[in-house]
Amino acid sequence: MNYSDLVNTAVEAGYLLVANGGEIYRAEESMQRIFRAYGVETGEVFVIPTLIEVTVCTRDGRPITRIKRVPTRTMNLDRVDQVNALCRRIWSDKPQFSEIRAELDRIGKRPTLSFPMQILAYALIGAAFTLFYGGSPRDTAVALFCGAAIRLVTRSLELFRVNSFFINVAASFVAAAIALTAANFDFFLSYDKIIIGSLMNLVPGIAITNFMRDIIAGDLIAGILRLTESVLVATAIAIGAGIALTASRMLLGV
Amino acid sequence: MEIFLSCLWAYAACIAFCFLFNIRGRALTIASFGGFLGWLCFSLLSPLHNDMIQYFIATVVTAVYSESMARFAKKPATEFQIIALLPFVPGGGIFYTMEYVVIGNNSMFLSTGLHTLGIAGALAMGVLLVSTLVRLFHIARTHREW
Repeated sequence: MNYSDLVNTAVEAGYLLVANGGEIYRAEESMQRIFRAYGVETGEVFVIPTLIEVTVCTRDGRPITRIKRVPTRTMNLDRVDQVNALCRRIWSDKPQFSEIRAELDRIGKRPTLSFPMQILAYALIGAAFTLFYGGSPRDTAVALFCGAAIRLVTRSLELFRVNSFFINVAASFVAAAIALTAANFDFFLSYDKIIIGSLMNLVPGIAITNFMRDIIAGDLIAGILRLTESVLVATAIAIGAGIALTASRMLLGV
Repeated sequence: MEIFLSCLWAYAACIAFCFLFNIRGRALTIASFGGFLGWLCFSLLSPLHNDMIQYFIATVVTAVYSESMARFAKKPATEFQIIALLPFVPGGGIFYTMEYVVIGNNSMFLSTGLHTLGIAGALAMGVLLVSTLVRLFHIARTHREW
């Protein structure tokens, strides 16, 4: 058996899991399972949200290590699901490595939501949450624009490789500014509901609930990383919306 | 009726998030219904007048729902869990915490901020309780000979 192929395959599978929003324990377990499926009991796996590290010992005691950075993480649960199914299949069928690689490539190329559809999804999320927090139909109409604007801002700044902290500041500033401007023209709008609803697009809800879960489950470093990440994002959102609120108080006296 | 409407909006929001997270087909329906169910639970528990306990129990319900649906649909439970928790995310808490900072009301800032953290804790405890129990159950079943 080729140990390099084994390590590479496992790392690719783990990378797809971590980079698409899978949990840490899922990535670690899946990689361990791939090793055990091919009779390697000496596999050591260490995963944190930004890094995957794997070592196996060959039969003659030579260690093989591979490190893979995970630069960006998005939520694409469809891919997590597909990789998970593939890992189950590896466990039961033990297919050829070339076959697994082809399958992983196919999963990595599965279609994601196109950009116009993403704008639509952001707008709908903003609108639905505004209604959910008790906004009126007119609030909702404004929230549609705020949600769409958030995606436009984040996308255009991502193209310039701006860091995520500043992206969040800018996006939440724009959303809050639109809401406050609209509220300035129409006194029946409740700007707080519009802002909360449309900012749900940015709020790291998953990270907030996952960091405690990681920590209690024993993945301490992963948990602390996620805590830091979610505190940073929450701070960025607060700064962006806070600037807009302060500015509107100064300029318009709302 | 008002409860039902807000559950419906939670459902709509969950569907939109499913699109964004690339959840498709049957999983989309299951996952977003989890959001509906969770918020319905939360609203029906309002006579308790303690939102921490409401959040906790509603999270436990969604977690049980997600775990059982994961067995049923042969998909990872988190796929459903993440979506079902979205209506509970204390977005309002985060916003008002920030607004109190801007206004300069420090005591309200502290109490709202701590409350928001408490909600996050209640959610995490709920999810963790159920997933630990499911794991225990799973281990007990696969190692029955012990």
